[in-house]
Amino acid sequence: MAIYSVYIINKAGGLIYQHDHNASRPEVEKTFSYPLELVLKIFDDKIVVAFGERDGIKVGHSVLAVNGVASEGRFLKDGRDILETLAMEENYPISIKFGRPKLTTNEKIMLASMFHSLFAIGCQLSPEPRSSGIEMLETDTFKLHCDQTMTGIKFVVITDPRQMAVDGLLKKLYEVYSDFALKNPFYSLDMPIRCELFDENLKIAIEQAERMGSAGV
Amino acid sequence: MSRQAARTGDPRKVNGELFTLTYGALVAQLMKDYENDDEVNKQLEKMGYNIGVRIIEDFLARANSGRCNDFRDVADVISKVAFKMYLGITPVVSNWSPAGDEFSLLLENNPLTDFVELPEGHDSLNYSNILCGVLKGALEMIQMDVDVKFVQDHLKGDNITEVRLKFIKRLEDAVPVGED
Amino acid sequence: MTVYDFYLFDRNGNCLYYAEWNRRKQPGISKDEEFKLMYGMIFSIKSFINRISPKDVQDGFLNFRTSKYKLHFYETPSGLKLVMNTDLNVGNVRDVLQHVFSSLYVEHVVKNPLTELGETITSELFRSKMDEYVRGLPFFAPKAS
Repeated sequence: MAIYSVYIINKAGGLIYQHDHNASRPEVEKTFSYPLELVLKIFDDKIVVAFGERDGIKVGHSVLAVNGVASEGRFLKDGRDILETLAMEENYPISIKFGRPKLTTNEKIMLASMFHSLFAIGCQLSPEPRSSGIEMLETDTFKLHCDQTMTGIKFVVITDPRQMAVDGLLKKLYEVYSDFALKNPFYSLDMPIRCELFDENLKIAIEQAERMGSAGV
Repeated sequence: MSRQAARTGDPRKVNGELFTLTYGALVAQLMKDYENDDEVNKQLEKMGYNIGVRIIEDFLARANSGRCNDFRDVADVISKVAFKMYLGITPVVSNWSPAGDEFSLLLENNPLTDFVELPEGHDSLNYSNILCGVLKGALEMIQMDVDVKFVQDHLKGDNITEVRLKFIKRLEDAVPVGED
Repeated sequence: MTVYDFYLFDRNGNCLYYAEWNRRKQPGISKDEEFKLMYGMIFSIKSFINRISPKDVQDGFLNFRTSKYKLHFYETPSGLKLVMNTDLNVGNVRDVLQHVFSSLYVEHVVKNPLTELGETITSELFRSKMDEYVRGLPFFAPKAS
């Protein structure tokens, strides 16, 4: 059981807090000989596997490092273009590390505002009157729980699909938010939260919820 | 669900020879109408394409196989499941290119070509070209752009019938109108 | 328990079929715009999930719920998208959507050589079979009006 991450979104769709709790992302390193048996493409300024799977490397994984040199967008840290490097036969055998990339802060901000609009559309397309937006979204790999307060702040928690007792956590997060962010006179409303006490208490709440959720299964 | 049960007891089996004869008549008529082998190849491929884009849905509904994320899986499913299901044969997959983006299907006996002898002077006709179209159409519907062609044909005196498939690119989902 | 409505989209985002049963609220825009909005939402949710998922995504999006309804989603490898809205008490309807695809859509639309793929389904047979199937579902119980 696991709680993966927490997002707090203000009423305008801005991300004001994000915490990755349990985000171990799969990584695979493998040595290849020429030619490369995977089809790569550029997506979101990253080199991503478009087709072909072997030894734990999956479609959607991106290149994290080549011969131990970490990647940065489409280039390696030493300035070489990844696709060009992989196209040259004299560079083989070559060791490439694949994995799901960590989200950058910019991507997190974008995802938060994306969810903000999906939430609104979900409400607009409701076949029943007076519906809320998306409260729980289920996929095969995770569940997303969202609680929107009366004031329009959204607490979003991403968990393992089998994690229980998330509703309790959402309520608890709201309490932590009001206690350690709102009541702090130096916190300005709707701005990113940077308070140590808030961080600490949020982590405690998450760990507690993980224990509670697992005990019930 | 209930479909599987209905399938096994399906009494409406079409006689295989009737199928072969129908296809033969079709090709013969096309050759009369177009008088040009390349044009006939093109027409056959087009017809196959139209079959492919439909048959894939039937295939997905019946085979219940998930998405293939590797060209080797694709080759396996085509030969062991799809050809078996629709033509009753299991072509051999071989001649992989080093990059794993090209392979051949070797057909030992092609049900389309029973009773067929190619007349003189039709060296460029690919009698079974409809298969290329079917494969291309079907794979395109599952987001794979693939080049399919005959490289050897039993009918032309080769030892075996060989269809070559080359992966070109992955097609992307359509973006809703007004976004990009 | 009840079924509100059902959408069928092809992979280019055309709404091939729409039907509603116990729907009580219209979004107040034209049907055409509603279909576009629905497809756009599904498309964005898929892309959202792909990015935010901490693990490798297989089937991806299954369903979401709001305080009033639950939206179920099923996509075939050929990119056909089936969407069904039900009330909150309905469990997993993946089998139902799979059945709609394999036994209704493939049988009555794909195998009918006269239907143009990618165009709105006008087949009366499909419509009536679909209606009959949905009305026969164990969780289809129209509220007494």
